[in-house]
Amino acid sequence: MNRSNSRLLVAGTLALITIGIMVLSIGGFITPVHDMLLRPISSVQEWIALRVSAIHDTLTAPRDVASLQAEIARLQSEVARLEQEIIVLREQATEAEILASLLNYARSQPENRSIAANVIGRDTSPFIRSIWLDRGSDSNLSKGMPVVTERGLVGRIAEVFPTASRVQLITDPESAVNVTLQLARTDGVLVAEFNGELSVDMIDQNAEVTVGELVLTSGLGNFPADIPVGQIINIRRRDYELFQEASVQASVDFEALNIVLVITNFQPIPVELTSP
Amino acid sequence: MSYFIGIPLLTLLAIFQSVLMSHIELLDGRADLVLLAVVSWSLTRRSEEAMVWAVIGGFALDLLSGLPLGSNALILLIVAFLVSFLEGRFWEAHLLMPLGVMLVASLAYHFLCTFEIMILGYDVSLAVVFRRIILPSTFLNVVIALPASQLASALHSRLFPQEVEL
Repeated sequence: MNRSNSRLLVAGTLALITIGIMVLSIGGFITPVHDMLLRPISSVQEWIALRVSAIHDTLTAPRDVASLQAEIARLQSEVARLEQEIIVLREQATEAEILASLLNYARSQPENRSIAANVIGRDTSPFIRSIWLDRGSDSNLSKGMPVVTERGLVGRIAEVFPTASRVQLITDPESAVNVTLQLARTDGVLVAEFNGELSVDMIDQNAEVTVGELVLTSGLGNFPADIPVGQIINIRRRDYELFQEASVQASVDFEALNIVLVITNFQPIPVELTSP
Repeated sequence: MSYFIGIPLLTLLAIFQSVLMSHIELLDGRADLVLLAVVSWSLTRRSEEAMVWAVIGGFALDLLSGLPLGSNALILLIVAFLVSFLEGRFWEAHLLMPLGVMLVASLAYHFLCTFEIMILGYDVSLAVVFRRIILPSTFLNVVIALPASQLASALHSRLFPQEVEL
C-alpha cells in the first residue's frame, strides 16, 4: 500500500469514528462518558484557572506591581516570601470583595436561593460565548438556572456535568432575554450580535425610549424579574418599521467574571403566545 | 510513543485554550493552540500521527465547548489531512514554510468552523466573523507558527532520533 493510500485510509477511518461519536453525542448516548472525561479535565482546568487568574491580576495592576517592587527593595531579605504572600492575599481580597458584593446582592433578593461558583474557563470556540463554572450537578445545579453577579444578568446554565457546568452568556448570538425598559415601561427582547454587542428589539413604536435608561429582565421566560441587564446607549427608530430597536451597554463586564451566583430556586414562567 | 505524549499534551493545550487564551484576544480572535500543535506535528513528516492528534485534540476542545462532541475533531482532521499532502514536496524544507502552511490551515479551519456554526443554526454575519474572528485568529496563529514548528521539530528529534550508520 503506497503512502497516499495509507494516509487516505487513516483519515477515512478517523473520520468515520469521529462522525460516529458525533452522532452518538447529538443523540445523547455518550453523556456518561462525557461526564467521566470532563471530571478530571475540569479539576485540572480549575487548578490552572486559579493560577492564571492570580498572574493575570498581577500583570493587569501596574500600580500594585510598583508598590510591590518598592516593598521588595525595602525588604530584600523577604522578597520571595512577601511576593508570594501578597499575590495570594490580593487574590483572596479580590475574591472576598466579590463575595461580599454577591452576598449583599443575595441578601437584597431574599426570595432567590443562590450558590456562588468560580469561573474556571471560557468556551474554546470563539464562535460561542459561554463560560465554565466549577460547580455542577453534584452541587444541585441544573440546566436553565439563571446566573447573575451583583452588577446584573450573566446568562443561564446550558449544560451540566457532575463537577462543572457551562453557562450561555447573554452576549451569545443564540441567547434571547425578555426585558423591560425601566422608564418607558415597555417590553422587548434582548438579543446579541455575533461580536457580542447587545440590543433590545421588538420595542413598541409608540414607547418613549430615552438614552441612559435601565434595561431589566421582565420576568417572562427563563429569568426572574428586575435583574439589571444594561443601559440604553442608542435608539434606532424608523417610522416605516413595526418596532424600535435600541443598543444596550451591558452592566456586567463579561471579560472580568471571576465569581458568579447561580439562582437555584427559579421556576421559569412560560411565555404564552397570543392567538390571532 | 507520540500518542502517549500527544494525549496529555493536547488535553493540556485545550485547557489552556479555555483558561488562558480568552485573556489574550485580538478583537474576538485567539491563537488556536491545538491547531498549531497538529499542523506543526504534521510538518515534521508525521502526517498520519498528526491526523490522530487532530482527532484527540479536537475531542478535548469539544469537551470544553458548547459545540457537539466531534465537531472540532472532524474539522481538525480535515485540516490535518489537507496539510499531509504537502509532505515530500520540494519546498517542504523552506524556513518560512510553516508560516504559509499555518496561514492556509488557519483560514481553512476557521471557514470550516463558520460553516459548521451556520449548519447548527447560528445567524452568522460573514463580514463580522471574517473581520473579528478569522483574520485576527489567523494573524495570531501565523505569528506563533514558527516557534510552534521549532518546538515540534525539537520534540520530534527527541522522540525519534536519527539513526546513524557506522
